Amino acid sequence: MEYTYLDCLSLFGVGGAHPGGLQLTKHLLAQENIDENMSILDAGCGTGQTSAFLAEKYRCHVTSIDFNKMMLNKAKKRFTSLNLPSNFIQASVESLPFNDEIFDIILSESVTSFTNPSLTIPEFKRVLKRNGTLIAIEMVLEKPLSEQEVKPIINFYGVSQLFNEAKWYHLFERAGFKQITIENFGQQFDETNVQNAADFSLSETIDEQLIEVLEEHEQLLNIYKDILGFRIFKCYA
Amino acid sequence: MSVEHYHGLCQKYRGRAVHITTHDGRTHRGVIQHVDHGRVYLQPLDRTRDLGGFSYGAFGPRYGYGYGGFGFGVALGSIATLALLPLFFW
Repeated sequence: MEYTYLDCLSLFGVGGAHPGGLQLTKHLLAQENIDENMSILDAGCGTGQTSAFLAEKYRCHVTSIDFNKMMLNKAKKRFTSLNLPSNFIQASVESLPFNDEIFDIILSESVTSFTNPSLTIPEFKRVLKRNGTLIAIEMVLEKPLSEQEVKPIINFYGVSQLFNEAKWYHLFERAGFKQITIENFGQQFDETNVQNAADFSLSETIDEQLIEVLEEHEQLLNIYKDILGFRIFKCYA
Repeated sequence: MSVEHYHGLCQKYRGRAVHITTHDGRTHRGVIQHVDHGRVYLQPLDRTRDLGGFSYGAFGPRYGYGYGGFGFGVALGSIATLALLPLFFW
């Protein structure tokens, strides 16, 4: 069996699998005025690291969705072990199973990039309340690449396309967001802060081929370190 | 540093990816699965190596190393350095 990058993330059960990790998540959430009455959608929750942090720290209404069943099961286990109230739904962010205008905040932590953004972004806009905020941490192309050069990245990660900052901005604007801000995050990994390190909910057996996928990922990161970056897009509905 | 020190650190870092160097110069990258009084057990993040260096698994456990029920074991007493691994994921 040929494993994909996302298989690798789900079998290793990587929590906080997005640029900046939980450290960036905490930093971004601290800038919002979150109270217990708010409804927050963790879109593409993975193993639920962010959802658990939201539920524990802010005690707000958290809805967590992911398309990947294995990830969701690992997220549920996390919530059970922490004794947290959970609301997990298996769904695609390209077609959200929610009514219009119900969330105050939506988090997309390196999720939209792995979907068809022209479907996903309008869905986020639809389910956000007026004056709600979409916070998206997404992969951006820092330098133009030819179609040929883009191919190995797209094929390996299974993303649909690679967008630069301007293209992302345009997609958010086209979906009807009133204001969009773009931020960088350059904080270094703190090697002593275990809270912010990715946590792993390993599956029982890890095939050696998965380790090869991980190695290829690390090689690509190294090759494209000046070409692939990420931004934080805050989009106000 | 002492076995007690690394025992405590490994407990704290359970479920996290770490980089370990041992007194004999070997390095290990893996996710901490379990710690007992003598060893830390890792899910390796690197492929089994058998070129030039060492090989685990193939020749059975050597002193200080070997597979147990919880992955690849490293003796706590053999650890020279242990740090969280700054892994980056999209």
